[in-house]
Amino acid sequence: MLKRLFALTLLGGLILASCSANDGADDPLVVYSGRSEELVQPLIDDFTEDTGIDVEVRYAGSTELAATLIEEGERTEADIFFAQDPASLGSVADMLSVLPSDVLGLVDERFADDEGRWVGTSGRVRTFVYNTGTDLPLPNTIDDVIDPIWAGQVGVAPTNGSFLAFVSAMILERGEEATLAWLEGLAANDPVDYPKNSPIVAAADSGEIEGGLVNHYYLLRLRAEGEGDDSENWFIPAGDVGALVMPAGVAILSGTNLPAEAREFVEFLLTPEAQTYFANETFEFPLIEGVDPVEGLPPLSEINAPDINLSALADVLGVAARLVAEAGLV
Amino acid sequence: MVTGPLVVSPGTKTTTRRQRRPGGRGWWAAAGIVLLPVLIPPISLVWQVVTRGTGTPVPLDRLWELFVATVALTVAVTITALSLGTATAWLTSRTDVPGRRVWMILAALPLVMPSYVAALTIIGATGPTGLISNWLGFDIPTPYGFVGAWLALSVFLAPMAHLIVTPGLRLIDPATEDAATGLGASQRRVFFTVTLPQLRPALVSAGLMVGLYTISDFGAVSLLRYDTFTRAIFTLYEGQIDRQPAAALSLILMVLALGILLVERRTRSRASYHTSRVRRIRKMLSLKKAGRIGALAFLGTLTTLSIVIPVSVLIFWLARGLGAGQELGTVWEETIRSVGVSIGAATLAAFAAFPIAMITTRRKGKMSDAADTAVWATYALPHITVGVAVVGFALAWARPLYQGLGLLLVTYVVMFLAQTMSSTQDSLRRASPDLEDASRGLGRGPLTTLRRVTIPLATPGLLAGAALVFLSVMKELPATLLLRPNGFETLAIRIWSTTGEGFYTRASVASLALLAVSIVPLLALMFRDLRD
Repeated sequence: MLKRLFALTLLGGLILASCSANDGADDPLVVYSGRSEELVQPLIDDFTEDTGIDVEVRYAGSTELAATLIEEGERTEADIFFAQDPASLGSVADMLSVLPSDVLGLVDERFADDEGRWVGTSGRVRTFVYNTGTDLPLPNTIDDVIDPIWAGQVGVAPTNGSFLAFVSAMILERGEEATLAWLEGLAANDPVDYPKNSPIVAAADSGEIEGGLVNHYYLLRLRAEGEGDDSENWFIPAGDVGALVMPAGVAILSGTNLPAEAREFVEFLLTPEAQTYFANETFEFPLIEGVDPVEGLPPLSEINAPDINLSALADVLGVAARLVAEAGLV
Repeated sequence: MVTGPLVVSPGTKTTTRRQRRPGGRGWWAAAGIVLLPVLIPPISLVWQVVTRGTGTPVPLDRLWELFVATVALTVAVTITALSLGTATAWLTSRTDVPGRRVWMILAALPLVMPSYVAALTIIGATGPTGLISNWLGFDIPTPYGFVGAWLALSVFLAPMAHLIVTPGLRLIDPATEDAATGLGASQRRVFFTVTLPQLRPALVSAGLMVGLYTISDFGAVSLLRYDTFTRAIFTLYEGQIDRQPAAALSLILMVLALGILLVERRTRSRASYHTSRVRRIRKMLSLKKAGRIGALAFLGTLTTLSIVIPVSVLIFWLARGLGAGQELGTVWEETIRSVGVSIGAATLAAFAAFPIAMITTRRKGKMSDAADTAVWATYALPHITVGVAVVGFALAWARPLYQGLGLLLVTYVVMFLAQTMSSTQDSLRRASPDLEDASRGLGRGPLTTLRRVTIPLATPGLLAGAALVFLSVMKELPATLLLRPNGFETLAIRIWSTTGEGFYTRASVASLALLAVSIVPLLALMFRDLRD
């Protein structure tokens, strides 16, 4: 009796589980997405609707997916890698195929791989989010952030991918030694560490901290949830990594058996339709001509971003993680 | 079904003998089949570190810091959660506290809450603009660091102790306590000298379950900022392409878990208590007025912390987001998938646990102790480590299984087998092997004895363990992320992806759905306790 009950529930469970697994059409386009389902699934649904191409998405962290791709090697089923940052894309660069030049030509060359293996799809800008009630003078350079006046008041997410990418960029800009010095300065300033960006923004908004180093769109996201009136984004004006523009990007795996569909997918992400979606729904900066960022954000050209070769970011990502640990931030 | 008259000497304390019973080979063969997948994560981990090295090694002083922090948290949480859980179990099953059965459920309910959701709601409730701070009109600081992690894990793991201790209390023969009372012992003395020693097996398994869970927890320690081994391991996996440093750290953590198991082995009482299934009416302890107020205050505070506040925060986020024009987003498919894999894994875990529980209780020896240790050691590994180890194994040796549902289910079973194994062991230990001997002595064959005696005896433990596995799988995130088929989103994954980007409204919907669905097996799990 009991055994039968067990067998029945097991069977039921398996059927239930397998029915709901996404195994519809044969050979869909497989996308490994380091970008969150909440952010990009509606867009991918639009793509399927427009082109009739079925897409199967695997969502996880960008770095984790890069590690997974490396581990899977040539046997990977992925056709597309859609990542949050150039470092993840760059670390699997030798598994990627070169994109057609007309696709690459759609965006400013600083937002694409210098060998054309990935292309930026939307811009995310590093920013200093601050509580509008603060009496402290806003930082003019990234070095002002480690000034003792900010001691114990700055939120950081030292383990988060976006912070590591920011540190990687600093290494490219200033070299290892100076970056370590900056990180040690930050550590000495008793920063408040958070696991991710969104709690930093919430904390700055609530006044738990005076400011924090984050990406720009988290505040806009918080506002969409009905909070965020007591904080603002401050784009550090000195032209250093404090206002780094870090594109999310997309690449085609060289082992894909659906090259035409994969190309269509990449092209789709750079259409005005998709770029408008990024602007208005994920609050990122569109990267093609003729699409404006969401109201309240300055045009990308007004942000004094540093000139950094993002293609080299992956090479120093490991160094960045080491320096962050050496400085005692994790 | 076994009936009363078969039973020999209720409540006798006997010392476990090393016994050789006929028919052991079948159990060993079955246990071996189960143990193979259990050993995959640890072996694959050792293999990875041995063949690929440790990458950039973690400095020694940092290792020492992590070690101290992890041990401190584990000890503190285990003691606190066991005390809280034993208190709630005793109050709700032994006293006439008003609303006893309701409290019994409420004390178990927080178990459905994933630790990352719990931590998130704690942060949402406290701090300068936290929900509770706002209600009270003054600022309750968010308990970051050791205090936060300790409180959160204690409060949310106490239900695990409650769930294990409650049946433990029920199974204690009232005759022993009555005898002590009859001899003039005070209530307090009866509790500490008669009840508590008999609870020892239940407390030991609850302690292991809570302690080793604490070691492997990521959600609470990461959000509440307390640096443990598991947090460091997660950080390495998430931030670095190179997986070797994290693998090396996981290996050290596994050694730590083995150390704990060794200590537990050394201190574990050799005694076991067999109880008859004769139902005796147990008198509920009548609380005096002060005791009743104290009990209600205690249960009320615990429930407020563990249920009222977190659920209020979730509902607040939901309302706030809806007010700001956020869309709800449906989670039907995710719910169905979560329930599906949870049922599948729970059922498989029950089947898998039975042979292991048999060899570890009925055929004790060095080999069965090793099997027991292996199951617990895998339970103590951070889920992300298990996930990465299984990915490595599948890519190297079992490519067709990679990212398949079957492998995901097996991984769940391996991760949570300790839960079904230990509850089944408890059930089997409580029933004297004499019952099986008697059945054989009366001329029944081994299969009939198994079907008519052993399985019915083990059933409560199997079911309780299966329900625990169900709840654990519902909450599981890191291994699911790595191993699920493409596009297979569960509720836990939904919560992860929504909270990561600050979609609080949708995160609340998914969290509330997860809580709602999990209540069903929890109630089923408590059915026996509630009936008494």
